Amino acid sequence: MQLRDFFSTDTVDLALKTETKDETLRALVGLFHLDEKSESILFKMLKRRETLGSTGIGRGIAIPHCRSLVVNRLRVAFGRHAAGLDFKAIDEKPVHYVFLIVAPPLEVSNQYLPVLGKIAQFSKEADVPDRLAGLESPKEFLQLLEEKGV
Amino acid sequence: MHEQLETLLEMQDLHMQRRALEEGDVREFESGVFDMSVDEALAALKDKISDLERRLTGDVQERYRRVIGSRHRAVVPVLGGVCYGCFVAVPTSWASESDPNAKMNVCQNCGRFHYYPP
Repeated sequence: MQLRDFFSTDTVDLALKTETKDETLRALVGLFHLDEKSESILFKMLKRRETLGSTGIGRGIAIPHCRSLVVNRLRVAFGRHAAGLDFKAIDEKPVHYVFLIVAPPLEVSNQYLPVLGKIAQFSKEADVPDRLAGLESPKEFLQLLEEKGV
Repeated sequence: MHEQLETLLEMQDLHMQRRALEEGDVREFESGVFDMSVDEALAALKDKISDLERRLTGDVQERYRRVIGSRHRAVVPVLGGVCYGCFVAVPTSWASESDPNAKMNVCQNCGRFHYYPP
């Protein structure tokens, strides 16, 4: 299983124009093109998860995640925010890179936790924040995942 | 979507989150990677579920309590015309409605609430 297999260019936004954490979560959920009600439920669940503890893991990276019945398969998205967002991250620094992961309660191959783990592993590589900052297109994001082989 | 179904969906997701946090792997991951205080999170989830439960109306609340007590999942998706709680086919007329989630549908076999994913 490779991270690259779960992402596609249409769920990558390298120019987020949002101003808050909430707006960012909504924008990333919007990349999944769900119906309005499902988006609203998913947003609520992501927010709820954030109230239990921020998913900002430091070094400018956050990984909001949850399981919900409103999605029927594991979905991932990535967003980059040039100015940075207040995510109440562990290191209290602004978040520039957001990986969103959502999955249904039951999955045939149970990939949710492994994918979450791979994103955390990817995020911890020393050069990743700089590499993410330098991306010029969603395609380059996919190439970076491939190159890292996670 | 029916308001009560929306509440049930939220409760179901919170239940899932709570059960997952009680498992070793998820617990370890959330505390290790995200520095989450798992015991506090479990207590917060329990409180929120109780809050939401109070929003359910009489008959829905009663069924919810009965089902969650014995079957763990009170709301299940219907996929391909099959209840994903008991894997028995549901009446096709339900799914053919323009918005099957606009009313409360209950499995005639297992008693769980049905949700039709978009």
